[in-house]
Amino acid sequence: MVDLHHFHGGLVLRHHKQQSCDQQMRPAGLPDELLVALKANRGHESEPVVTVGDQVLKGQVIAHPIHPYGAVFHAPTSGTVTDISLKNTASADAPLAQCVVIKPDGKEQWLESTPPDLPENSTAVIARIQQAGIIGMGGAGFPTHVKYQHQQPDQETTLIINGAECEPYISCDERLMLEQPNAIVSGTHWLMKAAGAKQAIIAIEENIDGVKKRLKQEIEVLNPQFPNHHITVVKVPTIYPTGGEKQLIKVLTGKEVPSGQTPLSLGVIMQNVATAKAVHDAIVLNRPLLERVVTVTGDAVASPRNYLTLIGTPFEHLLQLAETDLSQMDKLIVGGPMMGYAMPHADMGVEKTTNCLLALPKEATKPELDAMPCIRCGDCVKVCPQELLPQQLFWYINGNDQNQDLEQAREHHVFDCIECGACSWVCPSHINLVDFYRFAKSELTYLDHKKAKANLAKQRHDDREARLARIKAERQAKRRQKTATLSDKSNAKKEISAVLERIKQQNNTDPSDD
Amino acid sequence: MTDALNTTSAPHIPARISVQKVMLWVILALIPASVAHLYYFGLGILIQLVIAITSAYAFEWWCLKWRHQPIKPFITDLSALVTAWLFVLCISPVSPWYVGVVGMFFAIVVAKHLYGGLGHNIFNPAMVGFAVILVAFPQSMSLWLPPGDLLQLTDNHSTLSLTATLNWVFTGQAPSAIDSITAATPLGAIQTGLQQGYSLSEITSQPIFGDLGGLGWEWVANWLFLGGVLLLYKRIIGWRTPAAVLMTTIAVSTPFYLFNADVFMSPQQHVFSGGIMLAAFFIATDPTSGCSSDRGKLVFGAGVAILTVLIRNFGAYADGVAFAVLLMNMSAPLIDRLTIPSPYGKKQVKP
Repeated sequence: MVDLHHFHGGLVLRHHKQQSCDQQMRPAGLPDELLVALKANRGHESEPVVTVGDQVLKGQVIAHPIHPYGAVFHAPTSGTVTDISLKNTASADAPLAQCVVIKPDGKEQWLESTPPDLPENSTAVIARIQQAGIIGMGGAGFPTHVKYQHQQPDQETTLIINGAECEPYISCDERLMLEQPNAIVSGTHWLMKAAGAKQAIIAIEENIDGVKKRLKQEIEVLNPQFPNHHITVVKVPTIYPTGGEKQLIKVLTGKEVPSGQTPLSLGVIMQNVATAKAVHDAIVLNRPLLERVVTVTGDAVASPRNYLTLIGTPFEHLLQLAETDLSQMDKLIVGGPMMGYAMPHADMGVEKTTNCLLALPKEATKPELDAMPCIRCGDCVKVCPQELLPQQLFWYINGNDQNQDLEQAREHHVFDCIECGACSWVCPSHINLVDFYRFAKSELTYLDHKKAKANLAKQRHDDREARLARIKAERQAKRRQKTATLSDKSNAKKEISAVLERIKQQNNTDPSDD
Repeated sequence: MTDALNTTSAPHIPARISVQKVMLWVILALIPASVAHLYYFGLGILIQLVIAITSAYAFEWWCLKWRHQPIKPFITDLSALVTAWLFVLCISPVSPWYVGVVGMFFAIVVAKHLYGGLGHNIFNPAMVGFAVILVAFPQSMSLWLPPGDLLQLTDNHSTLSLTATLNWVFTGQAPSAIDSITAATPLGAIQTGLQQGYSLSEITSQPIFGDLGGLGWEWVANWLFLGGVLLLYKRIIGWRTPAAVLMTTIAVSTPFYLFNADVFMSPQQHVFSGGIMLAAFFIATDPTSGCSSDRGKLVFGAGVAILTVLIRNFGAYADGVAFAVLLMNMSAPLIDRLTIPSPYGKKQVKP
């Protein structure tokens, strides 16, 4: 049994999960077209390897990463590439990114390939994960294979499979654990193999029933296949944001990930349950990441449900399936209500990280109240899971008339903010605090960048000045030496005749110059 | 898609709290103590409340107009009501009418709006108002009605009538029905007594003293404590500041008392007289003018208590809560700077 610990603060929120989670998962089917956005973690894009008009088969590679943190993309179904262009994508502010548009032919024809043998060692597992285009499916979208390439060799690694879906409304992970516990446990084993880990913990929230039993059954079933692996299922308290990577690590291990470092510094690798399932698909079924579970829910949705959705399925298609009242919909949120992003339109496709579409009518969304001044009540301090002083940060960022104040925000650890939104949620003055922190982070990063650039330029300038001075000094020394030799008459004569001789010789050897 | 959807940022679901509700809870928590005050000291508090609240809102409205601030959200945030109410609980119920007006002028206009309004004041407005009054009208602050049954009325009424109180507040004419003379506050009585060479036990055997502090006053303090517990329960305030104030008051006053019980008040007298209970739960917990870090709150509360006990024991004023709070208000930003908590993942670096 694992001793559980507490993280600071947090919120107890209404779950709103029942509506979507009580229903069986259903396939979302083939939409009219698929919009596959070629970007992974933090907008690292991939380069398309197909052109408009190409016929593609299901599972065929359509894009390769151009950055180490990018991902491979595959055609989610067979069909024709009809467009490759910049389109809105499902991230904050719906940024434009390269999208491959595929018109399905309805045949679902797979790319023929002989199934390779099961990988024997860690490197082979990692390679298979990379080839399958798997990225973190919990939201951050960090390429999965990269985590296993940065392990410290002398450290025992523990794998944590994150099934703690702490945001209200979202139930895709819970549904997946209920319906495909086998794939999750199997994926966990393969991830353990990749990490060389002997211990793994599957963490779930304590308010979900039935999941623990099913997972345990599957662990029993698969145990003979991986006798060295030890997997435990642990229920963690339902406190938002217990599913945050840092918070879950604190709850399970009592340790804190050092600021600015990854969990690997504690010998921990964390993956989402959906990622584990994708790994199982990739290794056991030889299928790349082509689909994921998406929760479609919210008070504007008549029949909320989880859908097994092809990557690239347009939001409109899913909203229609779930009978969404589009006229009532005030906000379309990708992700949960605490950290998700409200989209301006529904014309974008499901990405590998899209876990939930939340359609809320006006009554259910937060009214846009005018923010009152901060009264420093400290409620934000009480709930902050990162133990920051949100109101002090706000004070410094809001009074930002000089860079000095933003530096104060840095001193108050703004970069440790995980943007969970707990502070904004409890603020009696209705200040959207997280917005300020995002601003400060990007502004500080920009200023640092500018400063680094300025320093570099100054360095170059100084170097150049030094170089010029050196050359000037050398020239002067040469000239002085020459004047000294020429001041002696006999020396001067010798010098002149030598020069004349040189000119004559040159004329003789180089007649071709004329 | 036709119209673009609403894209305001997360969190997208509504919370339930507002500045107004916070202030409302503070008022609710003050009501039991105010009723006790009414019971022991008569109708004066009602008149003072009317005067202070009216002038507070008049000044608030005027300042908002003058500073070109939106009137509605700020007039309805109830913060001026809290300021006025706290101020009234500090002053004598039979203070002349201008005490409330002047106090509120300094509280609302000077302490609050000249510093930038709600959330920007360095000093606790109610305490600024009260400190000005203490300095400007010392006599009226030391003039209280004797509590409860001690009020000997010549016309066989047990309480002073509304008209008599009104008359007193507005014209300064003490009613003829009041027999000899009004009482001082317990702390005032102790100070005068000590100056006249009486020992503490002699002074506290006077009828205005009760079991713990002053008769009546101790019950107001008890009800303030209860109101404070309500705020703690509702999580409007944290436990650190009140605990620091009360514990430090006891810790600092005990050695003095043990050293010389004839001159220095006992810890329970310190806690149950004057403004300590009010300060612990309602004044020092003012988030705007106090500290924000957890350790800062402890330091702030302790500072208020230490200064209060020192002023009471050695200072020229009978009670020192107002001055102690103002002095600590000044130190709060510095304390906050020195007590920035180490966030998640940085504990190893900074202990």
